[in-house]
Amino acid sequence: MKLDTKSLVLMAVAIVINVVVGQIAVWIKLPLYVDAVGTVLVGILAGPFAGALTGLLTNLIWGLISDPVAAAFFPVSLAIGLLAGLLARAGWFKSIGMTIAAGVVIAIVSTIVAVPIIVYMFGGVTGAGTDFATAYLLAVGQELVQSVAIANLVQNLADKILTCLIAWVIVKRLPLRFTSGFAFYGHSKA
Amino acid sequence: MALIEVDHLTFAYDTRPVLEEVTLAVAPGEKLAILGGNGSGKSTLAQWIAGWLPRGTFAASAGGVNIEGRPWDELDDATRAGTVQFVGQVPMQQLSGFAFTVRDEIAFGPGNLQLPEAEIRARVDAAVAACNLSHLLERDPFSLSGGEQQRLSIAAALAMRPRALVLDEPTGNFDPESRDALLAQMAKLPAELAIVWCDVTLGVPLAVAQRFVLLDAGRIAYDGDAAGLLAHPRTAEIFGLPAVAEAALMLRAQGLWPEGAAISADAGQVAAVLRPMLAEAAR
Amino acid sequence: MAVAHPSGADHALLFVPGQSVMHRLNPLTKLTCVLWVAVAAFALPPQGTIPLALVAIATGIFAGAGKVFARRLILTLVPLSLALFVVHGILVDHAGDRTVILGLDLSHDGLAYMVRILGRIAALLSGSLLFVCTTHPARLLKALDAHRFPPGMAYVIASPLLLLEPFTQRARAIREAQMARGLNLEGSFLARAKAFPALLMPLVTLALADIDHRAQVLDGRGFRAMPHRTVLDAPRDSTAQRVARWVILISIPFLIAGGILWH
Repeated sequence: MKLDTKSLVLMAVAIVINVVVGQIAVWIKLPLYVDAVGTVLVGILAGPFAGALTGLLTNLIWGLISDPVAAAFFPVSLAIGLLAGLLARAGWFKSIGMTIAAGVVIAIVSTIVAVPIIVYMFGGVTGAGTDFATAYLLAVGQELVQSVAIANLVQNLADKILTCLIAWVIVKRLPLRFTSGFAFYGHSKA
Repeated sequence: MALIEVDHLTFAYDTRPVLEEVTLAVAPGEKLAILGGNGSGKSTLAQWIAGWLPRGTFAASAGGVNIEGRPWDELDDATRAGTVQFVGQVPMQQLSGFAFTVRDEIAFGPGNLQLPEAEIRARVDAAVAACNLSHLLERDPFSLSGGEQQRLSIAAALAMRPRALVLDEPTGNFDPESRDALLAQMAKLPAELAIVWCDVTLGVPLAVAQRFVLLDAGRIAYDGDAAGLLAHPRTAEIFGLPAVAEAALMLRAQGLWPEGAAISADAGQVAAVLRPMLAEAAR
Repeated sequence: MAVAHPSGADHALLFVPGQSVMHRLNPLTKLTCVLWVAVAAFALPPQGTIPLALVAIATGIFAGAGKVFARRLILTLVPLSLALFVVHGILVDHAGDRTVILGLDLSHDGLAYMVRILGRIAALLSGSLLFVCTTHPARLLKALDAHRFPPGMAYVIASPLLLLEPFTQRARAIREAQMARGLNLEGSFLARAKAFPALLMPLVTLALADIDHRAQVLDGRGFRAMPHRTVLDAPRDSTAQRVARWVILISIPFLIAGGILWH
C-alpha cells in the first residue's frame, strides 16, 4: 500500500505530536502518558494502515531518542493506531459520545496487547507507577496476570479516553481547506 | 514560445474567487516580479506558476497554466521538478525534513531523481558556491538561522537545475543584512534562469526584476516596467505613497534618477520623471 | 558523519559521536546484531544473558558511551529491580522454598525469576543501546537507502527526529508565554489539568498547519519520483560484514534451539 506524500508528512508530524504532548503531560504532572494523540489523529484522518504505522514508528523513535525498552511496546502503539483507523471508518469519531466509546474500546484492546508483554517480558512490572497498583492487587490476593491487567486497564481507560477526546477536538477544529485533503476523514464527518 | 503561460486562470479555494481571469506569460530567463497587498492572490498565483496547484480538490474554475504549451498534469514528476522550483515565505517550511546536514539537504532532490553520484556532487558544489553555504555543510538544517535556511532552500532548488525559480516573499522575515546578502546572491544566478519574485513591498523586487505585475484582488491591474508601476494609481493606494517615493529614491541611488530632480510624493510626477530615464537606460 | 559538537537534532539523540570500531561498522550489521541479542535475551537463561549484557556494556564503554549506558541502565534497572523484588520475591505465591531474611518472607524461585528478568532486560537494553549510541540516524537511513529501503518509510523515521528539537523549543516558548499570562504549573491538579489544552492546542495547530506545504516541498523536489534514491557517502559495507550478517541470521534458529535444550 502506497501512502501519498501528504499522509507521510502527517505521520511524521503526528510522531512529533506524540512525543511533545507526552512531554507536556509530564510538565503539568498529569498522572497519565497521553502519548498517542498523534497516532489517533492519523487513524482518523488517514485510516488504519497509516495509524498503525505511526504507532509502530513512534515507539522505534522513542527507542532512538530516550529509552530502547519503550520500543518493546510497539505492538501496543500499533494496535492503537490500527484501531483508531478502523473505528473512524465505522463512524465512531462523528460525535463526542462515540469518541469516548472509542477511547474505551482502544483502552481495552491496548491493555489486552500490553499485558502479555508486561507479564512475560518484564515479569509483570514496568518500573512505573502502575507497579504499586499491581503490588497492591497481588497483596490482596489477586493472581499476577489479573493484577497487571486491572492496574493497567484503569490507567489506560483514563489515558485513552482523554487521548481520543483531544484528537477529536483537534480534528473538529481543523479548517475545511486542511481536511479536504484527507478523503478518509469523510468517515468521521457528522 | 513562453516557458510558463498562465491562460485566463480563474480559481477559488472555496467559493470566493482568489484569482480572476489572470493571463500572464514568463519567457525563458525573464526576471519578473508579482506585487500586491496581503490577500491579493499573489501567493496563490505563485503556486500555480510553480505547479503546486492544481492539487487534490483544488482545481481551476476556468483557464489554467501551460509549460511550453503543455498543462502541468501532463508532465511527469521529474520533469516538473526540473522545470520550476518554488521557495516559500517561511524558511523552516522549505526544508525537506529528510536530511540531517546542509549537504544532504541540497543533495536530496537530485538523489530523488536517481542521478549518478558524480552529477549530484557537481550540482551540490555549484549550488553551495552560488548560495555561499560552504561553511555550513555539516550543520543540521533545522539549527540554521532563518536567513541561512532561506539560502539553503534556494540552493536546494538550484540543485534541481530548474528553468524557472518562483520565490514567494523570500525576504519577508529578514533583517536588512540577510536581505542584502540574498539580493547579492540573486545577482549571481545564471542568466538563463527565469525568476518570478512575489512580494508585498516595492523596494526589494526593484533590485531583482525588470518586469512588474501588480495583482489587485485577484486581477492583474498592471503589467510592465518599473516607471509605469510607480505611476499606476493602485500602486500608491496599495503600498502607500511613502513606499513609492522610497522606491524612486532607490532608483536614484542606482543612478537611474536625474540629479537635482525632486523626489515627489505624487506618483504621477515620479513617473513623469522616471519614464524617459528608464527608456534611455534600456536603450 | 562524525559531528564533533552535536547541534540541532543531535541534542535529542542517545547517539554519542566517535570513531570506534562500533561507530564504523555498517548500521545494518549492527542492526543484525541487535536482532541476535534480542532473540538471545529470550532464549538464554541468566547464565547467558548476564555475560551478554556485560560484553555489550564493556563494548559500549570502549566506544565512549559509558555515561549514556550508566544512566540508562540505572534508570531502567533500579526501579525494575525494586518492583520485581517486591512482586516476585515477596508477593507472588511461587512454588518452592521460602527464607525469612530481615523479617521478609522471600521466595527462592521468585528471586531466581527476578534475576532471570533482570538479565533479559539488561541484555536487551545494553544490546540496543550499543546500536543507538554508536549509530547516527543519518547513517542508518543512508544504509537503508543504499539497500533500497522505501524512501517514504525512511522519511517517516528521519523527519520526526529532525522536527523534534524545533517543536520542543516551540512547546517551551508556549509554556513560557502561558506562564507569563498567569498559568500555574505548580497549582492544584484541577488547575494543572486546565492548563493542558492551553499548552497543547496552539502547538498541535501549529504543527498541522504546514503539512500541505511540506508535502509540496517534497513533491517539488522529486521525492519518490523514482522507486529508489541515489545516496551520497553511503556507510561503507564489506564482504566480511555481509558474510557476518548472514552468519548471524543463520545462527538465530540454532540459538533458539540451544536455548530450549539448555532449560
